Amino acid sequence: MQQLLALTAKDLRLLARDKVGFFFAFVFPILYASLFGSIMGGMSEGASGMQVAVVDEDGTQQSGEFVAQLEALDELTVTKTDRQQAQDWVRRGKRVAFIVLPEGFGEARRQMFGNPPRVEIGLDPSRAAESGMLQGILTAQLYKGIQEMFTNPDVMNAKLDETLADIQKADDMDPLMRTTLSAFLPALKAFTADMPKGESQTGGFPQPKIEKVDVTRQQSGPQNAYEISFPQGCIWGIMGCAAGFGITLVVERTRGTLVRLRMAPISRMHILAGKGLACLITTLAVGATLFGLAAIVFHVRPHSYVSLVVALVCIALCFVGIMMLLSVLGKTEQSAGGIGWGILVMMAMIGGGMIPLAFMPAWMQQVSVISPIKWSILAMEGAIWRDFTAAEMFTPCAVLIGIGVVSFAVGLRAFKWSD
Amino acid sequence: MLHLTNLRKKFGQNVAVDDLSLDIRPGEIFGLLGPNGAGKTTTVNMTVGLLKPDAGTISINGEGSPEDPRVRRRIGVATQALALYEEMSGEENIRFFATMQGLSGAERSERVAWALEFVGLTDRRRDKAAEYSGGMKRRLNLAIAVVHKPALLLLDEPTVGVDPQSRNAIFDNILSLREQGATVVYTTHYMEEAQRLCDRVGIIDHGKLLALDSVDALIEAHGGESRVIAKRAEGDVEITTRDPLAELQKLQAESTLQTFRVEWPDLEHVFLNLTGRSLRD
Repeated sequence: MQQLLALTAKDLRLLARDKVGFFFAFVFPILYASLFGSIMGGMSEGASGMQVAVVDEDGTQQSGEFVAQLEALDELTVTKTDRQQAQDWVRRGKRVAFIVLPEGFGEARRQMFGNPPRVEIGLDPSRAAESGMLQGILTAQLYKGIQEMFTNPDVMNAKLDETLADIQKADDMDPLMRTTLSAFLPALKAFTADMPKGESQTGGFPQPKIEKVDVTRQQSGPQNAYEISFPQGCIWGIMGCAAGFGITLVVERTRGTLVRLRMAPISRMHILAGKGLACLITTLAVGATLFGLAAIVFHVRPHSYVSLVVALVCIALCFVGIMMLLSVLGKTEQSAGGIGWGILVMMAMIGGGMIPLAFMPAWMQQVSVISPIKWSILAMEGAIWRDFTAAEMFTPCAVLIGIGVVSFAVGLRAFKWSD
Repeated sequence: MLHLTNLRKKFGQNVAVDDLSLDIRPGEIFGLLGPNGAGKTTTVNMTVGLLKPDAGTISINGEGSPEDPRVRRRIGVATQALALYEEMSGEENIRFFATMQGLSGAERSERVAWALEFVGLTDRRRDKAAEYSGGMKRRLNLAIAVVHKPALLLLDEPTVGVDPQSRNAIFDNILSLREQGATVVYTTHYMEEAQRLCDRVGIIDHGKLLALDSVDALIEAHGGESRVIAKRAEGDVEITTRDPLAELQKLQAESTLQTFRVEWPDLEHVFLNLTGRSLRD
């Protein structure tokens, strides 16, 4: 056991000192996932604002103006629709939230006194940050009308004239109130005539009301582009590990250290197990690093962490086998590296490691079943956003372990211990 | 210590080792001398269990064959190829291979420090092996072979590509190991090294053992005659003889010698006489 751990530690130490190998195992996948995630995210969203659906149930001039006001904001990307569609979009994660301007919204906005304007917003309860941000935006926009009235005497005078006319028409109004307002509002009009623009405040007037409706989001697709790009990036890091450790086996053979190890009182399986364990640990470390970063920085939240760990272990076992196979493909470091990377890149191309499988033609998707990259990505996506059950996870995991076992066995059979 | 009995190994149609038998005594430095391709490295590889002989047996210290890991634990090998991890320091290399030999804890630390001191690399122990000179790498190669205190040490061409200073240091190390009780098998195609170091020498060619004895006995038996070359007033004289001193006395008695020199036979002559060609052919 001591020898096995020493063999593993030796390979990990050598990897840490190999700057190029370390870059391709850890740094390149992060750059890949971040870059492609941001590109794909940009493509799918089309704009940088929060995507919201707006439902105008009021249908008045005021509500229409308010919708236009929201559309003009950089912070929001607005799509007008009906309530049912809006709820469905939010539930399926196609929009972050919906905003409903209910019947009476325009009238409430128009009135100087009485009920405040009411707005409903609907979004997933877990989106606390988005909820707070949206409420802030809406409050600011609703106040904007009131603020304009109090900072612009012309708007104020027009509003006072409208209100006086309403008072005259209101038959059911308390006579005392009618008399009081009929005296007060003209006096206020006279006061605002002398008021310089921009000095008034809104204090004391009714606050707009924002009512929140919880809409539980269904996990029916990736929540952001990073949920696609990080599994792909992870695969590149894992391929780097397999190629790197495969090449180190060739290097050990050509430099004679493998022969020296065989002279030691340890078995051949000890030597290969040490290499395999180092490859396994590094592969898992690549996965942990990438998905840790994805969770912290890019808000990638796997549907099941247990499934993700199972997927990564199966992928790591698969690529330990592939590492063994790659180590017998070339006699020299250069030929093993060239042939190994050629095969891995080909597998990545047909397996969705470069372009997501969903964007590939149907025949290519059929061909992809021969690539372990396809099954690796499927297993990771199953744990992250495809919401795979244990039974659904079984297929990609079993295929990965099968490929790993066969590759290891073939590699072991063809392996040469010395030149 | 090491008993090779009727060893035979073929690679395709090429017979690398042909019915080779050797008995290496405990505490001796045994030289296996032969040109490149003579079968020396194949013999070493069979002795450490890297190659399985087609026929014959190997026994080390009466404990069994080298296929048994416990027997391999008794062997130290300095391979002809420099088998080092270049990106690891000298100390890390020695510690790693010491661990492979089953050493651990304080014993391992003590032996690593001893091995570094033994080959004179203590001051450079933290430098990467890649930064060592060729001679230093050879010394590190030797340190790895001896770190676990093996009873039998196999040194396969341990001075290839080494500067004279490092070569002398390696010779001193080997002589020191003999004093400490180790048995050394030293393969080389440099007859000067075999002549300087070895208690007994086996001469091997085309996989066959041609002769085996002490250096003096081999020369006596197969070296042929010495040559006496003298310069006198009457002219130069060149005499081939088995007794050069007697010939010199005879020449001196006849007339005054202006200069003279004696060419003694060496292992090169032994090999030439046994095979009809030079060691360096």
